[in-house]
Amino acid sequence: MSATTHGNIALPHASTDSAERRLMLGFLVFGFSALFIGASIGPLQALNYGGINLYPYLRPLLQTYYQGLTVHGVLNAYVFTFFLACGLLVYLPARELGLSPNLLLWRACFGLMVVGTLMLLVGMFDNSSSVLYTFYPPLKGSALFYLGLTLLVVGSLFPLPILLDLRGRWRRQRPGEITPLATYMSLATMLMWFLAGFGAAAELLVQLDPWVLGLTQTVDPSIARTLFWWTGHPIVYFWLMPAYVSWYCLLPKQAGGKLVSDPAARMTFALLLIFSLPVGSHHQYLDPGISPVWKVILTALTLSVALPSLITAFTMALSLEYGGRLRGGRGVLGWFTALPWRNAGVAAQVLAMITYIFGGAGGVVNGSWQLDNIVHNTIWIPGHFHLTVGTATAMTFMGVSFWMLPHLTGRTLLMPRLALASAWLWFIGMSIFAFGMHWAGLLGVPRRAWVSYMPQEAYDRVYGLAHLPLGLVALGGVILWLAVVAFYLVFFGSLLFSRQGTEEPIPFAQAFHRRASYAIGQPVGDLPGEPTPKLARALEHLGLITAFTAFITLAAYIPILWPMIRNATQATGWNVW
Amino acid sequence: MTDNSPSAAFEHGFHTVAERHERIWLFISLALLSLLMAGAMYFVVADYGVVVKTAGYQRHPEDAATGAFAVDQGLMRTGPNTYAVHMLAHLWQWTPSPLHVPQNAEITFYITSSDVLHGFEVQGTTINVTAIPGTIGKVTYTFRHAGSYNIICNEFCGIEHQNMLGRIIVDPANHS
Repeated sequence: MSATTHGNIALPHASTDSAERRLMLGFLVFGFSALFIGASIGPLQALNYGGINLYPYLRPLLQTYYQGLTVHGVLNAYVFTFFLACGLLVYLPARELGLSPNLLLWRACFGLMVVGTLMLLVGMFDNSSSVLYTFYPPLKGSALFYLGLTLLVVGSLFPLPILLDLRGRWRRQRPGEITPLATYMSLATMLMWFLAGFGAAAELLVQLDPWVLGLTQTVDPSIARTLFWWTGHPIVYFWLMPAYVSWYCLLPKQAGGKLVSDPAARMTFALLLIFSLPVGSHHQYLDPGISPVWKVILTALTLSVALPSLITAFTMALSLEYGGRLRGGRGVLGWFTALPWRNAGVAAQVLAMITYIFGGAGGVVNGSWQLDNIVHNTIWIPGHFHLTVGTATAMTFMGVSFWMLPHLTGRTLLMPRLALASAWLWFIGMSIFAFGMHWAGLLGVPRRAWVSYMPQEAYDRVYGLAHLPLGLVALGGVILWLAVVAFYLVFFGSLLFSRQGTEEPIPFAQAFHRRASYAIGQPVGDLPGEPTPKLARALEHLGLITAFTAFITLAAYIPILWPMIRNATQATGWNVW
Repeated sequence: MTDNSPSAAFEHGFHTVAERHERIWLFISLALLSLLMAGAMYFVVADYGVVVKTAGYQRHPEDAATGAFAVDQGLMRTGPNTYAVHMLAHLWQWTPSPLHVPQNAEITFYITSSDVLHGFEVQGTTINVTAIPGTIGKVTYTFRHAGSYNIICNEFCGIEHQNMLGRIIVDPANHS
C-alpha cells in the first residue's frame, strides 16, 4: 500500500521538480500574503457595522472605510484567489500526469500578476482609487488601478495554454484514454475563465483603460456594468472550482477513502463551464435597461447553475461517508464523527463544505429574481459571499496549505494544533458574522456603507432595529481576527522557522473504477481493462463544450447589450471619495 | 494499511447503492429547482409592479438635472388613485425628499441619477432599483401602511454614501 501511496507522485527530473516547487511556493506565499493584508482589514469593516469607527486611528495608513474596503475586496477576491488558482491548477495536473509544465509561461503568469498587484497596491494605498472591487464607472480612479487590474486578469489566463500543452503531451503517450480527473477539472476551469475573461477584458481594454489614460472623455455605465458581470459572476466559479478540485481529487484520500464517482465529478465541471457563463446579468435584476423577458431567462439559467453544486454536495458527502466507514464509523452519522478531525487540513475543508451548504442556499435566494428585490445590495449579499468565497474557498485553500507547505518545503507544519484552532475559529467567526449579516440585510441595512461614521441619531433611526444582528457581525469579525492571527502564525512560522521533515506526498485520491495513478513513468497498475463510462467519454470533448458555451453566452449577452449600445450614455468621471 | 484496506465486496456494494441514490438525488435536485423557478415566476407575475422597467434614456446624465427631473415636482396625480414621482439621485441626496404619498394609492417612481450609480432602496418594502446615470428606471408600488419610510442609497457613490438618506411619509388614507 505504501508503494501505491508514493506511486501517486511522479518525480520527473530533480532540477525541474525543484523549480516547479519553488514557483508553486511563490504562488502560495504571494497569494496568502495578499490575504493576510486583506483579511487583517476585514474585521474593521465588521466593527463598522457594529457602530465602531476605528478608521480615524489608522491614518495615514488608511484614510477611510471605503479605501479599506477596496483593499480588502481586491486583495482577497482577486489577488489571493487568482494566485492560488493559477498555482494549483498547473501544479496539481502536472504532478497528476507526471509531466513538467511549460515553466516559461508559468513564470510569465506569476510575473504579470505580481506587477499587476503592485500597481493595484499603489493605486489603492494612496487613496486615489477607492472605487471598491466592482470599480463601477463613472467613478474614476487612477490609471495604475485599472492597468494593474488588466495585468492581473491577463496573467491569470496563462494557465490555459500550459494545461492544453500538458494534456496534449499526456494524450500522445496514452492514446485512447480519458484525461485524468484533476487535469480535466483544471482545464474545464481555465476554459470557463477564458470565456469569462472577455467581459472584463472588453470593459478594461475598450472602455476604462483608454478613459483613465485620457484618450476618451466619457464612458457608458450600463455597458461597463454588464461587461463587468459577464466576468463577475463566472469569477465566483473561478474561486470555487479550484476548491472543488481539492474536494474531489484530494480530500477523499485525506479522509481515508476514495472518490465515489469520477463521472459525476466530470459532469459537475462540464455543467459549471456551461452555466456559469451566460448568467452574469442576474446581478442586474434591479437595473433598468434590461428587458424583463431576459431577466426571466436569467432566472432559469441561474437556478440551473445550482445543479452542479447540488451534485457536488451528494458526491462529496458520499466520498466522506466511504472514508468515514472505512475508518470504523457506524450508524447514520458515525461516519461523520469518524473522519480524521484532528487533521487540520481535513477539518478545514469539511467545515468549509458545511458552510457552503448555507452559502449555496443563500445563493439560490439571490438568484431568484423576486427574492433578490429584498436582499439586493443589502449586507445579506456580503454575508452570502463570505460563506462561499470567504469560507468555502478561503478555508479550503488554508486546508490545502497545511499539507502543501510541508510538501513544497520539506519542512514540517509548525503547531498543528494551532492550525486546527484557526480552522475552527474561522468557521465559528464566519458563521456568526454571516448570520448577523443575512439577518441585518433583511432589515434593509445596505452593504458597503460607513455607517459608524453617521451621526448617532441617524444611525439609530435607520438601523436601530438591526442592533442585535449588527452586534453579531462585529462579534464575528473579532473572532475572525483571532483566526487570522492563528492561521498566519502557523503559515509564516512553518515557512520560516520549521525544521526539516519527511517528504509529504500530494494526497491524490483514487476514484472507484479508476487507477491509483495516471502519471507518465508510473506502472499502469491493476484494473487494466477498466471500462470507461460513456458519460466520461462524451465529456472529453471540452472543445465542443467550450464552443457551445461561447455560443449561448453570446446569445445571452447580445440582446442585453444591444439596447444599451443603441442608447449609449456619455458619462464623465467622478472622483468623490 | 492492510487493516484499513477495503474489501472488494464492501466497495462494490457501496458503489451499487451509491449509483441508485445518485439518481434519486439528481431527480430531487431537478424537481426542487423547477419548483423554485415556478415560484419565482408566480411572484414576479403576481407583483409585476415591483419589477424594474425601463422608462427612457439620456445621452448625457447631467441633463437629468435640466429635464423632467430638473424641478422638484413632488408627487404628480396621474389618475383617480394613481400618482407618479420623478426621483433624482445625485451626490448625496434624493430629490424630492421628504416625499408625502397617500396610503393605498398606486405610486409610480421614475428613478435616475445625474452623476454616479446610486441605489434606490425603500427600507421595509420591495422597492429596490439601481439609479443608473443615463437610464431611467420605473417601478410601481402601493404603500399599505401609513408611516415614515427611509430611502437608503445601497450602491456605493463616494465618501458621503452612508448619509445619502431620504424619507417617504405615507399619510393615512382618510386624512389625505
